[in-house]
Amino acid sequence: MTVLAAPGVLAVSSVSNILIELGAVLLVLAICGRFAARVGLPSIPLYLLAGLLLGEGSPVALEASSEFIRIGADLGVVLLLLLLGLEYTPEELSHGIRTNWLAGLVDFVASFTPGFLGGLLLGWDPVACVLLGGITYITSSGIVAKLLSDLDRLGNRETSTVLSLLVMEDIVMAVFLPVAAVLIVGASVVEASLSVLLALVVVAVALFVSLRHGARVSRVLDSTSPELLLLTVLGTTFLAAGLADKAKVSAAVGAFLIGVMLSGQIAERGRVLLSPIRDVFGGLFFIFFGLQIDPSDLPPVAVPAIALAIVTSASKVGTGWWAAKRAGVGPKGRRRAAAALIPRGEFSIVIAGIGTAAGLERDLGPVAACYVLLLAVGGSLAVRYTQ
Amino acid sequence: MELFETPLPGVGVRYEFTSAAGDRVGVIVRRDARRELLLYDEADPDACRDNVSLTGEEAATMVELLGGTKITERIADLRHEVEGLSIEWVTLESGRGLAGRTIGDGRIRTETGSSVVAVIRGEQSIPGPGPDFRLEAGDVALVVGSIEGVQKALRLLTT
Repeated sequence: MTVLAAPGVLAVSSVSNILIELGAVLLVLAICGRFAARVGLPSIPLYLLAGLLLGEGSPVALEASSEFIRIGADLGVVLLLLLLGLEYTPEELSHGIRTNWLAGLVDFVASFTPGFLGGLLLGWDPVACVLLGGITYITSSGIVAKLLSDLDRLGNRETSTVLSLLVMEDIVMAVFLPVAAVLIVGASVVEASLSVLLALVVVAVALFVSLRHGARVSRVLDSTSPELLLLTVLGTTFLAAGLADKAKVSAAVGAFLIGVMLSGQIAERGRVLLSPIRDVFGGLFFIFFGLQIDPSDLPPVAVPAIALAIVTSASKVGTGWWAAKRAGVGPKGRRRAAAALIPRGEFSIVIAGIGTAAGLERDLGPVAACYVLLLAVGGSLAVRYTQ
Repeated sequence: MELFETPLPGVGVRYEFTSAAGDRVGVIVRRDARRELLLYDEADPDACRDNVSLTGEEAATMVELLGGTKITERIADLRHEVEGLSIEWVTLESGRGLAGRTIGDGRIRTETGSSVVAVIRGEQSIPGPGPDFRLEAGDVALVVGSIEGVQKALRLLTT
Protein backbone atom coordinates (compact mmCIF):
# COMPACT_ATOMS: atom_id res chain seq x y z
CA MET A 1 0.00 0.00 0.00
CA THR A 2 2.74 2.42 0.92
CA VAL A 3 4.33 1.96 -2.48
CA LEU A 4 1.19 3.13 -4.19
CA ALA A 5 0.31 5.99 -1.85
CA ALA A 6 3.40 7.97 -0.94
CA PRO A 7 2.25 11.56 -0.65
CA GLY A 8 4.89 14.14 -0.04
CA VAL A 9 7.79 11.72 -0.14
CA LEU A 10 8.51 12.16 -3.84
CA ALA A 11 7.92 15.45 -5.57
CA VAL A 12 8.24 13.83 -8.99
CA SER A 13 6.72 10.40 -9.48
CA SER A 14 9.40 7.89 -10.28
CA VAL A 15 9.05 5.63 -13.26
CA SER A 16 8.83 2.62 -11.02
CA ASN A 17 5.76 3.95 -9.23
CA ILE A 18 4.07 4.81 -12.51
CA LEU A 19 4.81 1.35 -13.87
CA ILE A 20 3.64 -0.42 -10.76
CA GLU A 21 0.37 1.50 -10.59
CA LEU A 22 -0.33 1.16 -14.30
CA GLY A 23 0.49 -2.52 -14.22
CA ALA A 24 -1.87 -3.00 -11.32
CA VAL A 25 -4.66 -1.07 -13.04
CA LEU A 26 -4.32 -3.02 -16.26
CA LEU A 27 -4.25 -6.32 -14.42
CA VAL A 28 -7.39 -5.31 -12.55
CA LEU A 29 -9.01 -4.60 -15.93
CA ALA A 30 -7.86 -8.00 -17.15
CA ILE A 31 -9.34 -9.80 -14.16
CA CYS A 32 -12.61 -7.92 -14.62
CA GLY A 33 -12.63 -8.83 -18.27
CA ARG A 34 -12.04 -12.51 -17.59
CA PHE A 35 -14.76 -12.61 -15.00
CA ALA A 36 -17.14 -10.85 -17.35
CA ALA A 37 -16.40 -13.31 -20.15
CA ARG A 38 -16.88 -16.25 -17.80
CA VAL A 39 -20.22 -14.98 -16.58
CA GLY A 40 -21.34 -13.84 -20.04
CA LEU A 41 -21.66 -10.17 -19.20
CA PRO A 42 -20.13 -7.15 -20.92
CA SER A 43 -16.90 -5.91 -19.40
CA ILE A 44 -17.78 -2.19 -19.26
CA PRO A 45 -19.79 -2.31 -16.01
CA LEU A 46 -17.01 -4.25 -14.33
CA TYR A 47 -14.41 -1.72 -15.45
CA LEU A 48 -16.63 1.00 -13.98
CA LEU A 49 -16.97 -0.89 -10.73
CA ALA A 50 -13.21 -1.31 -10.54
CA GLY A 51 -12.78 2.42 -11.05
CA LEU A 52 -15.38 3.15 -8.38
CA LEU A 53 -13.65 0.90 -5.90
CA LEU A 54 -10.20 2.28 -6.67
CA GLY A 55 -11.25 5.91 -6.76
CA GLU A 56 -11.80 8.55 -4.17
CA GLY A 57 -12.42 7.24 -0.72
CA SER A 58 -10.64 3.98 -1.36
CA PRO A 59 -7.69 2.68 0.63
CA VAL A 60 -5.51 2.59 -2.46
CA ALA A 61 -4.55 5.88 -4.09
CA LEU A 62 -3.22 6.09 -7.63
CA GLU A 63 -0.83 9.01 -7.44
CA ALA A 64 1.99 8.50 -9.87
CA SER A 65 -0.04 7.23 -12.80
CA SER A 66 -3.01 9.58 -12.54
CA GLU A 67 -1.70 11.91 -15.23
CA PHE A 68 -1.11 9.08 -17.66
CA ILE A 69 -4.50 7.58 -16.94
CA ARG A 70 -6.14 10.93 -17.57
CA ILE A 71 -4.45 11.31 -20.95
CA GLY A 72 -5.07 7.64 -21.65
CA ALA A 73 -8.74 8.21 -20.99
CA ASP A 74 -8.85 11.04 -23.54
CA LEU A 75 -7.13 8.85 -26.10
CA GLY A 76 -9.56 6.08 -25.21
CA VAL A 77 -12.54 8.21 -26.17
CA VAL A 78 -10.93 9.18 -29.47
CA LEU A 79 -10.13 5.56 -30.26
CA LEU A 80 -13.62 4.37 -29.26
CA LEU A 81 -15.16 6.81 -31.69
CA LEU A 82 -12.60 6.09 -34.42
CA LEU A 83 -13.34 2.38 -34.30
CA LEU A 84 -17.06 3.10 -34.29
CA GLY A 85 -16.64 5.19 -37.43
CA LEU A 86 -14.54 2.45 -39.06
CA GLU A 87 -17.46 0.07 -38.56
CA TYR A 88 -19.57 1.99 -41.00
CA THR A 89 -19.09 3.03 -44.59
CA PRO A 90 -20.31 6.46 -45.76
CA GLU A 91 -22.86 4.65 -47.93
CA GLU A 92 -24.30 2.78 -44.95
CA LEU A 93 -24.67 6.03 -43.05
CA SER A 94 -26.34 7.97 -45.82
CA HIS A 95 -28.60 5.00 -46.59
CA GLY A 96 -29.41 4.79 -42.89
CA ILE A 97 -30.36 8.44 -42.66
CA ARG A 98 -32.57 8.28 -45.72
CA THR A 99 -34.51 5.16 -44.76
CA ASN A 100 -34.64 5.36 -40.97
CA TRP A 101 -34.88 9.00 -40.06
CA LEU A 102 -38.40 8.62 -38.67
CA ALA A 103 -37.49 5.70 -36.42
CA GLY A 104 -34.40 7.61 -35.32
CA LEU A 105 -36.51 10.62 -34.45
CA VAL A 106 -38.98 8.54 -32.43
CA ASP A 107 -36.08 6.84 -30.67
CA PHE A 108 -34.59 10.21 -29.76
CA VAL A 109 -37.78 11.78 -28.49
CA ALA A 110 -38.81 8.68 -26.52
CA SER A 111 -35.54 8.18 -24.70
CA PHE A 112 -33.99 11.66 -24.51
CA THR A 113 -37.03 13.30 -22.93
CA PRO A 114 -37.18 11.19 -19.74
CA GLY A 115 -33.53 11.96 -19.03
CA PHE A 116 -33.98 15.65 -19.68
CA LEU A 117 -37.12 15.88 -17.55
CA GLY A 118 -35.50 13.76 -14.86
CA GLY A 119 -32.64 16.21 -14.63
CA LEU A 120 -35.07 19.12 -14.33
CA LEU A 121 -36.96 17.27 -11.59
CA LEU A 122 -33.69 16.80 -9.72
CA GLY A 123 -33.15 20.52 -9.91
CA TRP A 124 -30.20 20.40 -12.22
CA ASP A 125 -28.83 23.10 -14.48
CA PRO A 126 -30.51 22.85 -17.94
CA VAL A 127 -27.21 21.99 -19.65
CA ALA A 128 -26.70 19.08 -17.26
CA CYS A 129 -30.25 17.99 -18.08
CA VAL A 130 -29.40 17.96 -21.78
CA LEU A 131 -26.43 15.74 -21.03
CA LEU A 132 -28.55 13.44 -18.91
CA GLY A 133 -31.00 13.21 -21.80
CA GLY A 134 -28.16 12.14 -24.05
CA ILE A 135 -27.04 9.59 -21.49
CA THR A 136 -30.47 7.97 -21.31
CA TYR A 137 -30.98 8.17 -25.07
CA ILE A 138 -28.01 6.34 -26.51
CA THR A 139 -27.97 2.56 -26.61
CA SER A 140 -24.59 0.87 -26.43
CA SER A 141 -23.71 -0.27 -29.96
CA GLY A 142 -20.68 -2.08 -28.61
CA ILE A 143 -22.56 -4.23 -26.12
CA VAL A 144 -25.51 -4.92 -28.43
CA ALA A 145 -23.43 -5.80 -31.48
CA LYS A 146 -21.35 -8.24 -29.45
CA LEU A 147 -24.44 -9.79 -27.86
CA LEU A 148 -26.21 -10.27 -31.19
CA SER A 149 -23.09 -11.86 -32.63
CA ASP A 150 -22.54 -14.13 -29.61
CA LEU A 151 -26.19 -15.20 -29.56
CA ASP A 152 -26.11 -15.95 -33.31
CA ARG A 153 -28.91 -13.49 -33.96
CA LEU A 154 -27.24 -11.59 -36.80
CA GLY A 155 -29.38 -13.46 -39.28
CA ASN A 156 -32.64 -12.61 -37.56
CA ARG A 157 -34.97 -10.24 -39.37
CA GLU A 158 -35.33 -7.91 -36.44
CA THR A 159 -31.55 -7.48 -36.21
CA SER A 160 -31.39 -5.26 -39.27
CA THR A 161 -33.97 -2.98 -37.62
CA VAL A 162 -31.92 -2.85 -34.44
CA LEU A 163 -28.68 -2.16 -36.30
CA SER A 164 -30.33 0.59 -38.37
CA LEU A 165 -31.52 2.28 -35.18
CA LEU A 166 -28.01 2.06 -33.76
CA VAL A 167 -26.66 3.72 -36.91
CA MET A 168 -29.15 6.56 -36.54
CA GLU A 169 -28.17 6.99 -32.91
CA ASP A 170 -24.50 7.24 -33.83
CA ILE A 171 -25.31 9.89 -36.42
CA VAL A 172 -27.36 11.85 -33.90
CA MET A 173 -24.43 11.62 -31.47
CA ALA A 174 -22.17 13.15 -34.10
CA VAL A 175 -24.36 16.26 -33.89
CA PHE A 176 -25.22 16.02 -30.19
CA LEU A 177 -21.63 16.06 -28.93
CA PRO A 178 -20.63 19.36 -30.55
CA VAL A 179 -23.93 20.88 -29.44
CA ALA A 180 -23.29 19.72 -25.88
CA ALA A 181 -19.74 21.10 -26.02
CA VAL A 182 -21.09 24.48 -27.08
CA LEU A 183 -23.78 24.52 -24.40
CA ILE A 184 -21.23 23.66 -21.73
CA VAL A 185 -19.05 26.59 -22.70
CA GLY A 186 -22.09 28.71 -21.89
CA ALA A 187 -22.28 30.84 -24.98
CA SER A 188 -25.16 33.23 -25.59
CA VAL A 189 -28.21 31.94 -27.44
CA VAL A 190 -27.04 33.45 -30.73
CA GLU A 191 -23.54 32.07 -30.37
CA ALA A 192 -24.91 28.68 -29.34
CA SER A 193 -27.25 28.52 -32.33
CA LEU A 194 -24.45 29.48 -34.69
CA SER A 195 -22.19 26.82 -33.22
CA VAL A 196 -24.95 24.22 -33.55
CA LEU A 197 -25.38 25.22 -37.16
CA LEU A 198 -21.63 25.04 -37.73
CA ALA A 199 -21.55 21.57 -36.18
CA LEU A 200 -24.37 20.36 -38.42
CA VAL A 201 -22.68 21.82 -41.48
CA VAL A 202 -19.32 20.27 -40.63
CA VAL A 203 -20.84 16.82 -40.11
CA ALA A 204 -22.90 17.06 -43.30
CA VAL A 205 -19.92 18.25 -45.33
CA ALA A 206 -17.69 15.55 -43.87
CA LEU A 207 -20.24 12.87 -44.80
CA PHE A 208 -20.61 14.31 -48.29
CA VAL A 209 -16.84 14.46 -48.83
CA SER A 210 -16.53 10.91 -47.52
CA LEU A 211 -19.11 9.70 -50.02
CA ARG A 212 -17.39 11.37 -52.91
CA HIS A 213 -13.71 11.09 -52.10
CA GLY A 214 -13.52 8.65 -49.23
CA ALA A 215 -12.45 5.76 -51.44
CA ARG A 216 -9.62 7.77 -52.94
CA VAL A 217 -8.38 9.02 -49.57
CA SER A 218 -8.57 5.48 -48.22
CA ARG A 219 -6.45 4.18 -51.07
CA VAL A 220 -3.86 6.91 -50.56
CA LEU A 221 -3.56 6.28 -46.84
CA ASP A 222 -3.58 2.51 -47.09
CA SER A 223 -0.44 0.50 -46.55
CA THR A 224 0.32 -3.20 -46.31
CA SER A 225 2.83 -2.53 -43.56
CA PRO A 226 1.02 -2.62 -40.18
CA GLU A 227 3.52 -0.16 -38.75
CA LEU A 228 2.88 2.44 -41.44
CA LEU A 229 -0.85 1.90 -41.31
CA LEU A 230 -0.99 2.39 -37.56
CA LEU A 231 1.15 5.51 -37.69
CA THR A 232 -0.86 6.98 -40.55
CA VAL A 233 -4.31 6.27 -39.16
CA LEU A 234 -3.50 7.24 -35.58
CA GLY A 235 -1.69 10.36 -36.71
CA THR A 236 -4.54 11.44 -38.97
CA THR A 237 -7.15 10.68 -36.33
CA PHE A 238 -5.45 12.47 -33.45
CA LEU A 239 -4.73 15.47 -35.66
CA ALA A 240 -8.31 15.62 -36.90
CA ALA A 241 -9.67 15.12 -33.38
CA GLY A 242 -7.50 17.92 -32.02
CA LEU A 243 -8.48 20.30 -34.80
CA ALA A 244 -12.14 19.38 -34.38
CA ASP A 245 -11.86 20.14 -30.70
CA LYS A 246 -10.36 23.54 -31.45
CA ALA A 247 -13.23 24.23 -33.84
CA LYS A 248 -15.67 23.32 -31.05
CA VAL A 249 -16.87 20.31 -32.98
CA SER A 250 -15.64 17.90 -30.26
CA ALA A 251 -12.61 15.64 -30.62
CA ALA A 252 -14.76 12.52 -30.43
CA VAL A 253 -16.79 13.58 -33.46
CA GLY A 254 -13.62 14.38 -35.40
CA ALA A 255 -12.35 10.87 -34.76
CA PHE A 256 -15.74 9.39 -35.70
CA LEU A 257 -15.80 11.26 -39.02
CA ILE A 258 -12.27 10.10 -39.88
CA GLY A 259 -13.36 6.54 -39.17
CA VAL A 260 -16.39 6.93 -41.40
CA MET A 261 -14.31 8.39 -44.23
CA LEU A 262 -11.88 5.46 -44.26
CA SER A 263 -13.34 2.47 -46.02
CA GLY A 264 -12.27 -0.63 -47.87
CA GLN A 265 -8.93 -2.28 -47.16
CA ILE A 266 -7.64 0.37 -44.80
CA ALA A 267 -10.80 0.11 -42.71
CA GLU A 268 -10.54 -3.69 -42.52
CA ARG A 269 -6.87 -3.66 -41.62
CA GLY A 270 -7.29 -0.66 -39.35
CA ARG A 271 -10.02 -2.37 -37.39
CA VAL A 272 -7.88 -5.46 -36.82
CA LEU A 273 -4.82 -3.48 -35.76
CA LEU A 274 -6.53 -0.77 -33.73
CA SER A 275 -9.12 -2.79 -31.80
CA PRO A 276 -6.59 -4.03 -29.23
CA ILE A 277 -5.20 -0.50 -28.74
CA ARG A 278 -8.73 0.82 -28.37
CA ASP A 279 -9.47 -1.87 -25.81
CA VAL A 280 -6.51 -0.89 -23.64
CA PHE A 281 -7.15 2.85 -23.74
CA GLY A 282 -10.91 2.33 -23.62
CA GLY A 283 -10.43 0.34 -20.45
CA LEU A 284 -8.41 3.22 -19.02
CA PHE A 285 -11.23 5.57 -19.94
CA PHE A 286 -13.85 3.58 -18.04
CA ILE A 287 -11.63 3.16 -15.02
CA PHE A 288 -10.76 6.85 -15.11
CA PHE A 289 -14.43 7.77 -15.08
CA GLY A 290 -15.03 5.47 -12.13
CA LEU A 291 -11.96 6.84 -10.34
CA GLN A 292 -13.48 10.29 -10.29
CA ILE A 293 -16.57 9.17 -8.45
CA ASP A 294 -16.73 8.71 -4.72
CA PRO A 295 -18.65 5.49 -4.05
CA SER A 296 -20.38 7.12 -1.11
CA ASP A 297 -22.07 9.48 -3.62
CA LEU A 298 -23.92 6.56 -5.17
CA PRO A 299 -26.59 5.56 -2.61
CA PRO A 300 -28.25 9.05 -2.54
CA VAL A 301 -28.74 8.96 -6.31
CA ALA A 302 -29.73 5.30 -6.49
CA VAL A 303 -33.47 5.98 -6.50
CA PRO A 304 -33.46 8.54 -9.35
CA ALA A 305 -31.06 6.32 -11.31
CA ILE A 306 -33.30 3.27 -10.88
CA ALA A 307 -36.37 5.29 -11.83
CA LEU A 308 -34.65 6.59 -14.96
CA ALA A 309 -33.48 3.08 -15.79
CA ILE A 310 -37.02 1.71 -15.60
CA VAL A 311 -38.62 4.54 -17.56
CA THR A 312 -36.02 4.60 -20.31
CA SER A 313 -36.00 0.82 -20.59
CA ALA A 314 -39.72 1.03 -21.22
CA SER A 315 -39.18 3.77 -23.82
CA LYS A 316 -36.60 1.66 -25.62
CA VAL A 317 -38.82 -1.41 -25.49
CA GLY A 318 -41.63 0.64 -27.01
CA THR A 319 -39.38 2.07 -29.71
CA GLY A 320 -37.95 -1.32 -30.61
CA TRP A 321 -41.37 -2.94 -30.73
CA TRP A 322 -42.79 -0.22 -32.95
CA ALA A 323 -39.78 -0.11 -35.29
CA ALA A 324 -39.77 -3.90 -35.69
CA LYS A 325 -43.52 -3.97 -36.31
CA ARG A 326 -43.10 -1.29 -38.95
CA ALA A 327 -40.48 -3.48 -40.63
CA GLY A 328 -42.93 -6.38 -40.75
CA VAL A 329 -41.36 -8.50 -38.06
CA GLY A 330 -43.50 -10.99 -36.09
CA PRO A 331 -44.29 -10.78 -32.35
CA LYS A 332 -41.33 -12.84 -31.13
CA GLY A 333 -38.96 -10.80 -33.27
CA ARG A 334 -40.48 -7.59 -31.97
CA ARG A 335 -39.79 -8.70 -28.40
CA ARG A 336 -36.17 -9.46 -29.27
CA ALA A 337 -35.76 -6.10 -30.99
CA ALA A 338 -37.30 -4.32 -28.01
CA ALA A 339 -34.90 -5.96 -25.56
CA ALA A 340 -31.89 -5.35 -27.79
CA LEU A 341 -32.16 -1.58 -27.36
CA ILE A 342 -32.02 -1.60 -23.56
CA PRO A 343 -28.28 -1.92 -22.84
CA ARG A 344 -26.45 1.35 -22.17
CA GLY A 345 -22.71 1.59 -22.03
CA GLU A 346 -19.73 3.29 -23.52
CA PHE A 347 -21.39 6.26 -25.17
CA SER A 348 -23.37 7.21 -22.08
CA ILE A 349 -20.12 7.26 -20.12
CA VAL A 350 -18.49 9.38 -22.83
CA ILE A 351 -21.25 11.97 -22.46
CA ALA A 352 -21.10 11.80 -18.67
CA GLY A 353 -17.32 12.20 -18.88
CA ILE A 354 -17.74 15.42 -20.84
CA GLY A 355 -20.07 16.74 -18.15
CA THR A 356 -17.82 15.69 -15.29
CA ALA A 357 -14.76 17.23 -16.92
CA ALA A 358 -16.64 20.52 -17.22
CA GLY A 359 -17.63 20.33 -13.58
CA LEU A 360 -21.30 20.86 -14.36
CA GLU A 361 -23.25 19.00 -11.75
CA ARG A 362 -21.99 17.05 -8.78
CA ASP A 363 -24.45 14.22 -9.15
CA LEU A 364 -24.05 13.75 -12.92
CA GLY A 365 -21.19 11.28 -12.56
CA PRO A 366 -22.80 9.15 -9.84
CA VAL A 367 -26.18 9.07 -11.58
CA ALA A 368 -24.56 8.09 -14.86
CA ALA A 369 -22.43 5.40 -13.20
CA CYS A 370 -25.43 3.91 -11.40
CA TYR A 371 -27.57 4.10 -14.52
CA VAL A 372 -25.02 2.47 -16.80
CA LEU A 373 -24.20 -0.24 -14.25
CA LEU A 374 -27.90 -1.11 -14.01
CA LEU A 375 -28.64 -1.13 -17.71
CA ALA A 376 -25.39 -2.59 -19.01
CA VAL A 377 -25.98 -5.64 -16.85
CA GLY A 378 -29.79 -5.60 -16.86
CA GLY A 379 -29.99 -4.90 -20.57
CA SER A 380 -27.56 -7.70 -21.43
CA LEU A 381 -29.56 -10.16 -19.35
CA ALA A 382 -32.77 -8.96 -21.01
CA VAL A 383 -31.33 -9.57 -24.47
CA ARG A 384 -29.96 -12.94 -23.50
CA TYR A 385 -33.17 -14.24 -22.01
CA THR A 386 -35.63 -12.87 -24.56
CA GLN A 387 -36.00 -15.71 -27.00
CA MET B 1 -35.91 -17.27 -57.41
CA GLU B 2 -36.28 -13.98 -55.61
CA LEU B 3 -33.23 -12.94 -53.67
CA PHE B 4 -33.73 -10.36 -50.91
CA GLU B 5 -30.85 -8.17 -49.91
CA THR B 6 -30.70 -6.37 -46.56
CA PRO B 7 -27.72 -4.30 -45.48
CA LEU B 8 -26.53 -4.96 -41.93
CA PRO B 9 -24.62 -1.80 -41.02
CA GLY B 10 -21.37 -2.58 -39.31
CA VAL B 11 -21.57 -6.27 -40.26
CA GLY B 12 -22.11 -6.80 -43.97
CA VAL B 13 -25.05 -7.79 -46.16
CA ARG B 14 -27.72 -10.45 -45.65
CA TYR B 15 -29.24 -12.31 -48.59
CA GLU B 16 -32.24 -14.57 -48.26
CA PHE B 17 -34.59 -16.55 -50.47
CA THR B 18 -37.23 -19.23 -50.22
CA SER B 19 -36.34 -22.53 -51.84
CA ALA B 20 -38.76 -24.43 -54.05
CA ALA B 21 -39.16 -26.92 -51.20
CA GLY B 22 -40.37 -24.10 -48.95
CA ASP B 23 -37.29 -23.63 -46.77
CA ARG B 24 -36.22 -20.12 -46.05
CA VAL B 25 -32.44 -19.87 -46.48
CA GLY B 26 -30.06 -16.97 -46.05
CA VAL B 27 -26.39 -16.03 -46.23
CA ILE B 28 -24.67 -13.21 -44.39
CA VAL B 29 -21.74 -11.91 -46.40
CA ARG B 30 -19.57 -10.42 -43.67
CA ARG B 31 -17.02 -7.79 -44.48
CA ASP B 32 -14.16 -9.84 -43.09
CA ALA B 33 -14.64 -12.64 -45.66
CA ARG B 34 -16.51 -14.86 -43.21
CA ARG B 35 -19.90 -16.16 -44.25
CA GLU B 36 -22.89 -17.29 -42.23
CA LEU B 37 -25.35 -19.77 -43.54
CA LEU B 38 -28.83 -19.21 -42.13
CA LEU B 39 -31.75 -21.58 -41.91
CA TYR B 40 -34.87 -19.80 -40.81
CA ASP B 41 -37.34 -21.27 -38.38
CA GLU B 42 -40.82 -22.17 -39.60
CA ALA B 43 -42.39 -21.52 -36.23
CA ASP B 44 -40.74 -18.11 -35.85
CA PRO B 45 -40.02 -16.84 -39.37
CA ASP B 46 -37.84 -13.98 -38.15
CA ALA B 47 -35.45 -16.16 -36.20
CA CYS B 48 -32.94 -18.71 -37.40
CA ARG B 49 -33.41 -22.32 -36.48
CA ASP B 50 -29.75 -22.79 -37.14
CA ASN B 51 -26.78 -20.93 -38.47
CA VAL B 52 -23.41 -22.11 -39.64
CA SER B 53 -20.39 -19.84 -39.40
CA LEU B 54 -17.89 -20.34 -42.20
CA THR B 55 -14.44 -18.95 -42.77
CA GLY B 56 -13.67 -17.63 -46.26
CA GLU B 57 -11.94 -20.89 -47.16
CA GLU B 58 -14.78 -23.04 -45.85
CA ALA B 59 -17.25 -20.97 -47.84
CA ALA B 60 -15.22 -21.50 -51.01
CA THR B 61 -15.24 -25.25 -50.38
CA MET B 62 -19.01 -25.16 -49.90
CA VAL B 63 -19.35 -23.38 -53.22
CA GLU B 64 -17.41 -26.14 -54.98
CA LEU B 65 -19.41 -28.85 -53.25
CA LEU B 66 -22.69 -27.19 -54.08
CA GLY B 67 -22.01 -27.33 -57.80
CA GLY B 68 -19.16 -25.13 -58.92
CA THR B 69 -19.04 -21.63 -60.22
CA LYS B 70 -21.10 -20.12 -62.97
CA ILE B 71 -18.07 -20.22 -65.25
CA THR B 72 -17.93 -24.01 -65.11
CA GLU B 73 -21.66 -24.12 -65.82
CA ARG B 74 -21.28 -21.93 -68.83
CA ILE B 75 -18.46 -24.05 -70.14
CA ALA B 76 -20.62 -27.13 -69.74
CA ASP B 77 -23.34 -25.37 -71.75
CA LEU B 78 -20.80 -24.49 -74.41
CA ARG B 79 -19.86 -28.13 -74.75
CA HIS B 80 -23.45 -28.91 -75.66
CA GLU B 81 -23.47 -26.28 -78.37
CA VAL B 82 -20.47 -27.52 -80.36
CA GLU B 83 -20.38 -31.22 -81.02
CA GLY B 84 -16.99 -32.78 -80.42
CA LEU B 85 -15.68 -29.72 -78.59
CA SER B 86 -13.71 -30.45 -75.46
CA ILE B 87 -12.80 -27.95 -72.78
CA GLU B 88 -10.60 -29.10 -69.92
CA TRP B 89 -8.73 -27.63 -66.93
CA VAL B 90 -5.40 -29.08 -65.94
CA THR B 91 -3.01 -28.20 -63.11
CA LEU B 92 0.68 -28.24 -63.92
CA GLU B 93 2.89 -30.10 -61.51
CA SER B 94 6.42 -29.21 -60.59
CA GLY B 95 9.15 -30.80 -62.69
CA ARG B 96 6.71 -32.57 -65.03
CA GLY B 97 5.37 -31.82 -68.46
CA LEU B 98 5.63 -28.18 -69.46
CA ALA B 99 6.13 -26.73 -65.99
CA GLY B 100 8.94 -24.19 -66.35
CA ARG B 101 8.73 -24.12 -70.14
CA THR B 102 6.84 -21.93 -72.57
CA ILE B 103 3.64 -22.89 -74.38
CA GLY B 104 5.55 -22.60 -77.64
CA ASP B 105 8.11 -25.16 -76.41
CA GLY B 106 5.31 -27.67 -76.06
CA ARG B 107 4.18 -27.05 -79.67
CA ILE B 108 0.64 -27.76 -78.49
CA ARG B 109 -1.08 -26.08 -81.38
CA THR B 110 1.02 -27.82 -84.03
CA GLU B 111 1.03 -31.24 -82.43
CA THR B 112 -2.50 -31.50 -81.14
CA GLY B 113 -4.61 -28.82 -82.81
CA SER B 114 -5.92 -27.60 -79.46
CA SER B 115 -5.07 -24.35 -77.70
CA VAL B 116 -4.30 -23.15 -74.21
CA VAL B 117 -6.81 -20.31 -74.05
CA ALA B 118 -6.26 -19.18 -70.46
CA VAL B 119 -3.99 -19.72 -67.48
CA ILE B 120 -4.93 -19.19 -63.85
CA ARG B 121 -1.99 -18.42 -61.59
CA GLY B 122 -3.03 -18.02 -57.96
CA GLU B 123 -5.47 -15.10 -57.84
CA GLN B 124 -4.63 -13.93 -61.33
CA SER B 125 -6.33 -14.99 -64.58
CA ILE B 126 -4.36 -14.61 -67.79
CA PRO B 127 -6.56 -14.92 -70.89
CA GLY B 128 -5.03 -15.79 -74.27
CA PRO B 129 -1.43 -16.54 -73.28
CA GLY B 130 0.95 -16.39 -76.25
CA PRO B 131 3.55 -19.01 -77.27
CA ASP B 132 6.21 -17.18 -75.24
CA PHE B 133 4.22 -17.53 -72.02
CA ARG B 134 6.22 -19.51 -69.49
CA LEU B 135 4.14 -22.00 -67.51
CA GLU B 136 4.90 -22.63 -63.86
CA ALA B 137 4.11 -25.41 -61.44
CA GLY B 138 0.72 -24.76 -59.85
CA ASP B 139 -0.69 -22.99 -62.90
CA VAL B 140 -4.12 -24.12 -64.04
CA ALA B 141 -4.35 -24.21 -67.83
CA LEU B 142 -7.63 -24.15 -69.77
CA VAL B 143 -7.33 -26.19 -72.93
CA VAL B 144 -9.86 -26.11 -75.78
CA GLY B 145 -9.97 -28.30 -78.86
CA SER B 146 -11.23 -31.56 -80.27
CA ILE B 147 -11.65 -34.41 -77.83
CA GLU B 148 -8.52 -36.28 -78.95
CA GLY B 149 -6.57 -33.06 -79.35
CA VAL B 150 -7.29 -31.97 -75.80
CA GLN B 151 -6.36 -35.40 -74.44
CA LYS B 152 -3.00 -35.19 -76.25
CA ALA B 153 -2.47 -31.64 -75.01
CA LEU B 154 -3.17 -32.67 -71.44
CA ARG B 155 -0.55 -35.41 -71.74
CA LEU B 156 1.94 -32.89 -73.13
CA LEU B 157 1.27 -30.50 -70.32
CA THR B 158 1.52 -32.93 -67.47
CA THR B 159 3.98 -35.67 -68.40
